[in-house]
Amino acid sequence: MSTTTTTTSTATKLRSDQRRWAPYAFISPFFLLFTVFMLAPVGAGIYLSLTDWAGLGEPEFIGLANYSRLLGDASFGAALSNTAFYTLFAIIVVLPVSLSIALGLDARGLKLRDFFRLVYFMPVVLSPIIITLIFGLIFDGQYGLLNAVLEALFGFGGVSWLTDPMWARVVVVVLVLWRWTGYLTIFFLAGLQAIPRELHEAAELDGAGVVRRFFSVTLPQLRPVTAFIAVTMLVNTAQIFEEPFLLTQGGPGEATLSVSMFVYRAGFQRHELGYAAAAGVIMFVIVFVLGRIGTRAFGVGRTR
Amino acid sequence: MSTTLTTTAEASPAATIAPVRRRRATRPARAALYAALVALALVYVVPLLWALSSSFKDRSDIFAFPPTLWPESATLGNYTTLLATQPFWSWMLMSTVIAVVSTAATVFLCSLAGFGFAKYEFRGKNLLFDVMFSSMAIPFAVIVVPLFILVAKLGLANPFFALVVPWVAPAFGIFMMRQYTEQSVPDEILDAARIDGCSEFRAFLTVVFPLLRPAVGALAVWSFLNSYNNLLWPLVIVAEPEFYTVPLGLQALFGAEGRQYDLVMAGSVLAAVPALIVFFVLRKQLVNGLTAGAVKG
Repeated sequence: MSTTTTTTSTATKLRSDQRRWAPYAFISPFFLLFTVFMLAPVGAGIYLSLTDWAGLGEPEFIGLANYSRLLGDASFGAALSNTAFYTLFAIIVVLPVSLSIALGLDARGLKLRDFFRLVYFMPVVLSPIIITLIFGLIFDGQYGLLNAVLEALFGFGGVSWLTDPMWARVVVVVLVLWRWTGYLTIFFLAGLQAIPRELHEAAELDGAGVVRRFFSVTLPQLRPVTAFIAVTMLVNTAQIFEEPFLLTQGGPGEATLSVSMFVYRAGFQRHELGYAAAAGVIMFVIVFVLGRIGTRAFGVGRTR
Repeated sequence: MSTTLTTTAEASPAATIAPVRRRRATRPARAALYAALVALALVYVVPLLWALSSSFKDRSDIFAFPPTLWPESATLGNYTTLLATQPFWSWMLMSTVIAVVSTAATVFLCSLAGFGFAKYEFRGKNLLFDVMFSSMAIPFAVIVVPLFILVAKLGLANPFFALVVPWVAPAFGIFMMRQYTEQSVPDEILDAARIDGCSEFRAFLTVVFPLLRPAVGALAVWSFLNSYNNLLWPLVIVAEPEFYTVPLGLQALFGAEGRQYDLVMAGSVLAAVPALIVFFVLRKQLVNGLTAGAVKG
């Protein structure tokens, strides 16, 4: 480029300066948006949670009163325990189910593998609102497809899927299962396919049977992907909103109410902004701490 | 992770010398596997077909007993009524414009930031990466109320701003792009571009970005769907019906006077079609790109 040594060295210096600053410039849009639209709101939320405010005038500082009120609020208790139930289900049931399906799809010489994978993956594309509406049609207590099928097959079809507290909760987790299983299967399958065949062959030579190989080769090799999925599911399911909101409006009673719904109702239907913020802060503490523990324990997000 | 893998593999020469052929499963086992996979496929396909068929039924037929998968008197009535009584195309336009703009911005910003994290050493990198990564664990419930107030106070409740700008640099996208950049952009190419006199940003645009295409496809679909399908934030921020997105419109329609399943199903089908098309066209990229980062950990 440049002919004289002086310009070359200036150019080199410019280059190395640029190289020092470039990465900061490249990641700055994230940090700008993160600060304005996440960090600041979290801070503001913590402040708001200490106030009483309906959105007009000045927030009135009331200390920890919102939190002590939350502790005694049966609705919030129900929201917390329902959300915990959904999340536990997602991790204890949806994860192993997805892994089993992935193992099935990983079978050697399987035909139509891509087709099956595609079909199971379809819910990812659909809006949760559409999924929920479809299942509303199926689980309808009086006229739903499921009851009609049960009636035809077994002669009883009177299950009040959406109006019985226990069944309503089951329906919500069935939706969680339906919506997420295919998505997680994709990840498990990719993880399984990334395991070098030599590992299995070596273990087989050593006399390890199918079960033994699953526990001593497959599972350990799947650790990073499992950890990633578990944390993703934790964060996603803890925020569940559409399913109970549309399917059952959180009911019957508060049988399916989730924390996100609780916050939405308190903040945007009853305009108790401080109270809603306090519920949000508790949610934040629980999810963030669990998420951090999860990522730390499994070393998610650290390559090499 | 990957280094341990290779060493273990190399350390077992027996495997390379005498590769054992894994026996294929026995025939009944294989049949059972196919049966299970097909049954599971039905669990996914039947509800969708049921929704599709319901969208062609009269409201009274939707809940007819016994249920019929093939509508006895198929009608386009639900579609015409929906389009005549609801500004459905306006919802679609709103959703699509917002999703497309969000996606374009997301792809650009995430690739750039992913590149920054993947290909440079700089002071504070680990801490900044940690902060970025853990922001994924901030639940929306904690920011929804203050964010609503912030956006309203700043006079930015304009849906085009509020539905796009806060969400165009998602941590998941940056993480994904960093993983991909690390794996598939060789340092040599970057150095060659620098020697040619490219600025860092130019090198990113002309040399790195084209190499990221598979991951960009996945990120684009992911981002499009996230925006297109979102309900809670639009529900909070969009008050005027003329700015309704599809999920908002469907939600309002469903909530209004007695669950209009007939119209809602027609709307769902119309809304799902573009998403399904995008998905089918880009399915390979989506699956490979999404999982690339997570597998390696």
